[in-house]
Amino acid sequence: MKNLKSRNRPTAEEALRAVSQHAPSLPPVQVDAADRPTTLNLRVRTSTLRALEAEARRRGLTMKQLVAQGLQGLGVAVAAADLEDRTPRRRFD
Amino acid sequence: MSVLTIASSKGGPGKTTVTMLLAAALAKEGQRLSVIDADPTEAFSRWARQTYEGPPFDCFFEAEESRLAHRINERAGLDELVLVDTAGFGNRAAAVAMTSADLVIIPTLSGEADVTEAEKTMRLVQGLAAAARRDIQARVLLNKMRRTHLARHAASEIEKAGLKRLKTSLSDLVAYGELSYSGILPSSRPAVTELGDLLAELRKEGWLGPPPGKKHRRAKRTIAS
Repeated sequence: MKNLKSRNRPTAEEALRAVSQHAPSLPPVQVDAADRPTTLNLRVRTSTLRALEAEARRRGLTMKQLVAQGLQGLGVAVAAADLEDRTPRRRFD
Repeated sequence: MSVLTIASSKGGPGKTTVTMLLAAALAKEGQRLSVIDADPTEAFSRWARQTYEGPPFDCFFEAEESRLAHRINERAGLDELVLVDTAGFGNRAAAVAMTSADLVIIPTLSGEADVTEAEKTMRLVQGLAAAARRDIQARVLLNKMRRTHLARHAASEIEKAGLKRLKTSLSDLVAYGELSYSGILPSSRPAVTELGDLLAELRKEGWLGPPPGKKHRRAKRTIAS
């Protein structure tokens, strides 16, 4: 810890990002049984899909994360779990 | 505006009792503080609402990590001190509370499993500090100590593992346990002495501001000179 620079308190987003980065497999405190995962299929043009792929790659996100973050930015109540990279590959990073 | 998170990946080392003691002692001093209960058992917030009898402080229950992160930042901007009590298992809310803290207090008992879990919690704090690129201090607080060979051995194991610990430890006093039922800060001599020592140590290291009365007196002296 000696080599780390002291910074001001992280913003809420920075704290959440640090936790997702360092300990992505930690479970939430409470699992809301009513808030089960489900599926949303989007039928979009190929160009839209490609644009989504490119932007997600540029930001180091999954496409789902990108869409979820965009929706959250519009004020939609997106569940915290949907803002995280929950793909199996995260376990091997 | 310090944020002190009381955390441990193991249940039962006395996180909530330590939070109660700190909150009650600091509220008695007149500190402007708030406590955020991030433990789904809601033990602290229930105590604050139904049992606690000392000077008031703000208490919030927030165990969902995203709302907790915002709540900590909001209260850190409003209060001199924010205490966060966390659940006794590895979870995202506790990790968020550690990431946002100036100091993580890790209460620990003398058993081998307790010391091992304290080490794990310390490593988690270090990892979160690296991910957040900030220095987060963490100290083990030996709790429910008795003057036994076992307690001395636990202290030496903690030192051997390179874990930083607070010099003050809390004894296995009935008065501390009674607080959860009485809501009244212990007034017996050993408890008062230990709590005083703990607050003094936290102040010496800069994690707590001076008591409000002392700040006021110092300000007056400055004006007079």
